[in-house]
Amino acid sequence: MVRNLGWHPVASWTWDAQDETCGICRMAFDGCCPDCKFPGDDCPLIWGACNHAFHLHCILKWVNSQTPQPHCPMCRREWQFKG
Amino acid sequence: MENLGILDSLSDECIDEILQSWNGYCSCTEEILKGKGDLSIESEFVAVVIALCRHGLEGLVKDHFLQVLEVAFKENGVSKFWQHFHDYCDASMMASNKPLQIQENYQSVLCESLEEICLQKQFQEKCLLILVHALQSYEESLMESKKSEVETDNLFSRYQLMVSSVLLTTLPRHFPEILRLYFKESLEELSTMMAEEYEGGNEIQGEGNFDLDEGESLTKIEVDIDKRYYEMNTVRNTKLVRNIGKVVRDLRSLGFTSMTEDAYASAIFFLLKTKVHDLAGDDYRSPVLESIREWIQAVPLQFLYALLDYLGDSVGYDTASSGLKSPLASCPSSCYPGISIPSEGLIRWQLRLEYFAYETLQDLRIGKLFEIIVDYPDSSPAIEDLKQCLEYTGQHSKLVDSFISSLRFRLLTAGASTNDILHQYVSTIKALRTIDPTGVFLEAVGEPISEYLRGRKDTIKCIVTMLTDGTGGHSNGPGNSGDSLLEELNRDAGNQENADCGDDFNIDDKQAWMNAERWEPDPVKADPLKSSRNRRKLDILGMMVNIIGSKDQLVNEYRVMLAEKLLNKSDYDIDSEIRTLELLKIHFGESSMQRCEIMLNDLIDSKRTNTNIKASMQQSQRGTEQGEGISLALLDATIISSNFWPPILVESLNIPAAVDQLLSDYARRFHEIKTPRKLLWKKNLGTVKLELQFEDRTVQFTVAPVHAAIIMQFQEQTTWTSKNLAAAIGVPVDMLNRRISFWISKGILSEMPGKESDDHVFTLVDDMVDTNRNGVINGTCEELLVVDEEGEGSVASVEEQLLKEMTVYEKFILGMLTNFGSMALDRIHNTLKMFCVAEPAYDKSLHQLQSFLSGLISEEKLELRDAFLFITERLKIFIHWPQES
Ligand SMILES: [Zn+2]
Ligand SMILES: [Zn+2]
Ligand SMILES: [Zn+2]
Repeated sequence: MVRNLGWHPVASWTWDAQDETCGICRMAFDGCCPDCKFPGDDCPLIWGACNHAFHLHCILKWVNSQTPQPHCPMCRREWQFKG
Repeated sequence: MENLGILDSLSDECIDEILQSWNGYCSCTEEILKGKGDLSIESEFVAVVIALCRHGLEGLVKDHFLQVLEVAFKENGVSKFWQHFHDYCDASMMASNKPLQIQENYQSVLCESLEEICLQKQFQEKCLLILVHALQSYEESLMESKKSEVETDNLFSRYQLMVSSVLLTTLPRHFPEILRLYFKESLEELSTMMAEEYEGGNEIQGEGNFDLDEGESLTKIEVDIDKRYYEMNTVRNTKLVRNIGKVVRDLRSLGFTSMTEDAYASAIFFLLKTKVHDLAGDDYRSPVLESIREWIQAVPLQFLYALLDYLGDSVGYDTASSGLKSPLASCPSSCYPGISIPSEGLIRWQLRLEYFAYETLQDLRIGKLFEIIVDYPDSSPAIEDLKQCLEYTGQHSKLVDSFISSLRFRLLTAGASTNDILHQYVSTIKALRTIDPTGVFLEAVGEPISEYLRGRKDTIKCIVTMLTDGTGGHSNGPGNSGDSLLEELNRDAGNQENADCGDDFNIDDKQAWMNAERWEPDPVKADPLKSSRNRRKLDILGMMVNIIGSKDQLVNEYRVMLAEKLLNKSDYDIDSEIRTLELLKIHFGESSMQRCEIMLNDLIDSKRTNTNIKASMQQSQRGTEQGEGISLALLDATIISSNFWPPILVESLNIPAAVDQLLSDYARRFHEIKTPRKLLWKKNLGTVKLELQFEDRTVQFTVAPVHAAIIMQFQEQTTWTSKNLAAAIGVPVDMLNRRISFWISKGILSEMPGKESDDHVFTLVDDMVDTNRNGVINGTCEELLVVDEEGEGSVASVEEQLLKEMTVYEKFILGMLTNFGSMALDRIHNTLKMFCVAEPAYDKSLHQLQSFLSGLISEEKLELRDAFLFITERLKIFIHWPQES
């Protein structure tokens, strides 16, 4: 009879975005943006209405630099956060 | 000739008078030399001498007298004198294995015969004085006494010259050896006496009186002086010293001055050497230099002081000599203030003796440096002594040469484990850093070691283990367990920095050392820019990095090792890893350690997330049946940010359905909480804790999931073929065969050949008591951590990665060597750089190439001769390179 006293498994997490890397900073989505130290919760991804994903910090910087009307860096459509 | 000329011009009368006087002179001389010279003879002698001098025959008179003295000296003195030593002509015969009686005998023979011949000399000098008086009377009669003193001096020095030349021309060859032995034995006797006295006054002597503060120094020195004065008196008054002094004085009077000095010098040095060897011995754990210095003060210097004093030529109150500032003169104990300012001769003796002692001790310690360093830090007193000796002698190059050769002979050999070499290297660095704060020859010594280590495959791994392992730098050293080498280094660095602040004088020291140092460092290696403050920063970690080649490689290796460790944890306790990382960050900078930090952060996050997920799952699961297999409470997951981890070997594995279900639920809940993030299970990774229950006992194991999957299959079915079992748990058969061997080795499963040749049958050993009958007690729990038992890690090692990347070039390298016959490492490296520019471009370092090639050497594809690589004969048979077409 085998009794299980504890199972300590290993998993990796992923954002499960379509692309591998952020179109703005060219860093991996599962990594983090250049300004961040830790990936994951600390450096989240955000999707636009156009379904393109970016590091939150990257797109925020981008959006702030684009006046008056920001566009998605990938498809040039007007940028809107996916609701 | 001149005299004969005078004779020609003389009258017969005159000639008669001269002849008469001459005859009278000769017979008087004879009488005087017989010792029968009473007053009447003496006055007759004076008369004939004056008569002869009047005829201008003064020179003839002197010559004749000296001639007669010489003949008498030869006949009565010299031959008899040497006769005494005839029995001792085999000087080696008198070496210490001879009975004491004979030794004493020849000591007294020497004293007595010296006394005898000196008595004769004194008698002859007395005779000579009679002649001198006669000549003086003649000169007084001429009323001119200007040159008389010079004349008599001249006569005595001619006599002295005659005595020494007669003795030296008849000197038996073994006489200097007799003198040497005489002094040696006398000094040994003296040394024993001193030791007894020393023992008696030990209580006062025992206080370290060598580094005195300004304040208390005065009184202390005075006490010191009184005591030394007392000691000095006892020595001076001993019969022994008096006897030796007398022998020396007699020898000097016979003209053996330098031979005598050589003899007692060589006896003193011999004794000093023996003393140094006695005191130093093979004990490296206590300092000896101080006792040697004390002994020099207590025995040979006191002896010399007493001797020179007895001979009357030492104690000049010669203030001029204070101009001679020896480096030791500043040390209060090294001279005798108050008694007298030591003569220059004594100071010179002290310098000679101390230099000799330093050199002897230094050679002794250098010869045993390897053992001393093995014993480090317990042996640090010996190292400290050696440092002082070298500072004085400046013979650092001796140390470098000798140590390098003993390293090659004893350490850098195939038999020594990489770990041992590294530990010895660390000790070497620590020990030599003490001796040589500039690091100049640490580099010279370190280079062969690092060069050798670079050729070993497991070097990086060993270094990283040493840095992070709890066993510290010295696995068998007491006390320091649980402390990594890194932590030790850090403590060390802290101490050094503190020490650095206060020691400005050290820079002068260093400069002095640099000046004294004759050994020329390799100008390339010993960059002058490095020679100031940077040089001191030559830390152990830096030297380790230098072996590996680059900081990045070390960090990389550490990361792989850390990953392995973290993935095999069964809890989230990473305190010691955090501590190590903090230390590594100090040395390598935060950015280098960023990925490692993320890895550790993953574990911290995992713990939190795990708690949250389990809490929410428990809520929703409440009321639902727990199901068979495993309860949620037993599950603790590690969730990694795989981008920052080394490549991880993911293999398929069917884990038990219940666990698999639980993992799916867990992943779903993660997705719910962390949307849109997802979990991807790496089912072959992690650890499982199992308890195997048998009729009479239970056994616990902590194993990899694949082991758990295997053994759990045997609950349903106690016999499996390898093919079926492999299919059931979803792994290739060969991997199953490798992994299952763990359970076989534990006696849980048994193996039998299957029906087909490549198949095996495994059966659960019900009755484990049979296999483990001995020492098995009911209910014993045995916990074993067996992760990575077969060396199959979950993370691809740096070498595996490198090997995979280098294999592409193997064919190219073998081709080059076939064409060129042989090539040196750097030429292969440069050629690869030049020609392998297409994908995959060759971008490896020289060290990486070297470690790859040493792999080929161990596979006997290549061999290394005189720094050139060749294809082995064995391989040549197998290679058929297309020659034509
Ligand atoms: Zn980005
Ligand atoms: Zn960020
Ligand atoms: Zn877009």
